[in-house]
Amino acid sequence: MSTSQNNDILLAISTPPFWHCGRTIRKNSFHTLVALTPAVIMSLIHWGLPAARVMALAIVVAMVTEAVCQTLMKQKLSQDNGTAAITGLLLAFLLPASAPWWLVVIGAACAMGIGRMAFGGYGANQVNATLVGWAMIFVSFPFQMDAAASLLQTDLIDPLLKLKYFGADAVADISLFDLLLGRQLGGLGSSQVGALLIGGIYLALRGVIRWEIALSFIIGTFLAATCLHFADSSLYAGPFFHLGTGSTILAAFFLATEDSCSPHRPLPMVLYGLTGGVLVILIRAFGSYADGAPFAVMLINLLAPMFALIRSHPFGTKPSKAGAADWRTRA
Amino acid sequence: MKQHFQIINDPRFRLVYNEHRLFGTGPAPRKIRLNREGFTMVPGVKKKTMVYPGMLLAEHPSLEKGDLHAPMYGVITEINARSVFVEAVDPQEQAPGTFPDPLEPVNLLKDGLEGEELVLAVKKMGVNTRSLGRRIRTLIVNGLNPEPGIRWAEPMLVEHAAEIRAGLELQRRFGRAEEIMLAVPTGCNVQFEGVRTVHVDPMYPNSVNELMIKEVTGMEAPPDVAAVGLHNVWSLGRTALTGLPLMETVITMGTAREWANYVVKNGSIVGELLEFTHISLKSGDTILRGGPLRGESLDRLDRSITKGSYGFFVVNAGEVPPIEGDSPCINCGACIQICPTRIDPRMLSRYAEFGRYDMSRKENFRLCIDCGLCGYVCIARRPVLQYIRLAVKKLEQEERLSQLTPIEPVSKA
Repeated sequence: MSTSQNNDILLAISTPPFWHCGRTIRKNSFHTLVALTPAVIMSLIHWGLPAARVMALAIVVAMVTEAVCQTLMKQKLSQDNGTAAITGLLLAFLLPASAPWWLVVIGAACAMGIGRMAFGGYGANQVNATLVGWAMIFVSFPFQMDAAASLLQTDLIDPLLKLKYFGADAVADISLFDLLLGRQLGGLGSSQVGALLIGGIYLALRGVIRWEIALSFIIGTFLAATCLHFADSSLYAGPFFHLGTGSTILAAFFLATEDSCSPHRPLPMVLYGLTGGVLVILIRAFGSYADGAPFAVMLINLLAPMFALIRSHPFGTKPSKAGAADWRTRA
Repeated sequence: MKQHFQIINDPRFRLVYNEHRLFGTGPAPRKIRLNREGFTMVPGVKKKTMVYPGMLLAEHPSLEKGDLHAPMYGVITEINARSVFVEAVDPQEQAPGTFPDPLEPVNLLKDGLEGEELVLAVKKMGVNTRSLGRRIRTLIVNGLNPEPGIRWAEPMLVEHAAEIRAGLELQRRFGRAEEIMLAVPTGCNVQFEGVRTVHVDPMYPNSVNELMIKEVTGMEAPPDVAAVGLHNVWSLGRTALTGLPLMETVITMGTAREWANYVVKNGSIVGELLEFTHISLKSGDTILRGGPLRGESLDRLDRSITKGSYGFFVVNAGEVPPIEGDSPCINCGACIQICPTRIDPRMLSRYAEFGRYDMSRKENFRLCIDCGLCGYVCIARRPVLQYIRLAVKKLEQEERLSQLTPIEPVSKA
């Protein structure tokens, strides 16, 4: 039988390219969830079932909110790509393990509804959706959001609060090792600094996040903290303290790197990260909030379109400065 | 750095395959389909005309486009607006005198034609010659495989060097450039007389002409340098050596696992080629003409290998994530990072998606070199390259229309 006359075969028509790198939204989400797993495990070790409760609730509410919004907006349901679950999980990471259920529900619903779906869906939001939800409940319910105030049955302390109220000398004896292992009070996942660092490096090596942003965010934090520390070491803590506390590492690897909210070219990415890192320290040192990282990320998210204006000239074109002669017409 | 951390970490993009088998000869076609768009049929060629190898069927008005010749003995079964269909006949079974004697070879090398006269002679032999507009300083012959997956460049440079040598000689006699260079992959040691060999890092997209020129000269879009493909030089050399009109093309044929290079007749039906190479198809597979990154997918098995095609591939269902059609852009920026011309495929694809072709002008859509990497890295599986091509086409149409002078009604006064 000849193939040329076989009309039973239905060929698929497609558009070039016919090769693909194989990465899809779903695979990227899968890698992100894998990268978050160490932090999930560490937070379960530290906080036990209450942490599991907050994380599960946040994920479910985020996914349900997305589904409801997509139904209302007549979009195709896309819970299977895992992006809503990540948003929910990252929000849970910023909450204390003692967060009441209604706080989690409001936070996750705001994150998905207002943070993402109001802009059109995944990838259309200008500010990190997780942080929108977080900011709304953080500003509205400061007491419930404060781990130090709501988690009473623990010996751990919030190093950033200690720094804020007792000065740099009081936190000088906190070892970096303890911070890396998550022996600090804070968001249930964001305080698992070591685990987040491992996950973040995994993501960067996988190419899921853009390493330029994460690295420059950390460098920005480090440089700003070092400068202040050298200026007055009794008031301002050292750079490693700032990297190990609060949600700096979570912000550097998982929040600031959200694709749609950050610039995509090399120089803008570096400037974006550096600005974010510096803002973290500025808010911590001179602002009224103990942990500046989430606000810093929201601010640089808003600045991202400005950074994106910095771009080199497209292939083979030359800058046309006013008054300058065209390079081709010069003798 | 980009390649290690970010986007391309694909070993297939290395354009050196250490392939050194001689080109196979394609099947003797039972049927062919020649593309005649833009050609004017020669008077007397119509349905049921008996044709013989090298017989002139149609002429192209442009000096750059080679004329159309029949590649085999046969009879024309149909001529429509786009194609000429020929069915093979056995010349032995026909009455004597049906076909004239075989064509007398024309020795282009010995005739000593030069310049525009040679261009015209070559056109009459069916070879496309790219007009460079004016005399330029450097002409670079692009000796890299044009796309990943295409594997004929190395055997062409080494095992089939006779054609290339003759083709380069003709290129020199065109007298279009002061100097001719040959760009080959780093590590490849070929030398041709009178042609300077330069080395290029054989990593796609360096084989795209614009980027190859940049690799060689170090300048982006230098004004007096142009490039010509190795495939075209081979075609030139082939006609010079055989003395007959161009009737065949070299293609790499294969799937993701196996491949081979063949010299096939122009207009070969892809179904016959699949049968010849024992590649079986399932429903849901995609067949494509051209290369895996820039080619076009074919809808039916009776489509043909057109003149100048350089590849034919089968992509089995499930090899790549399917394009779902209207998936929205998620602003991941992978295309912006990968684009070698530093334009913004993200916005260009959106402008085309929503019909705002005019906005594409702001984003320098004309600088697109058609490399296809934007679609390769798109995690939302959007047809980014197709959107850009659509915008280019729409704007070209618009510009053509705007150049027409509107007809004023003749006033009676």
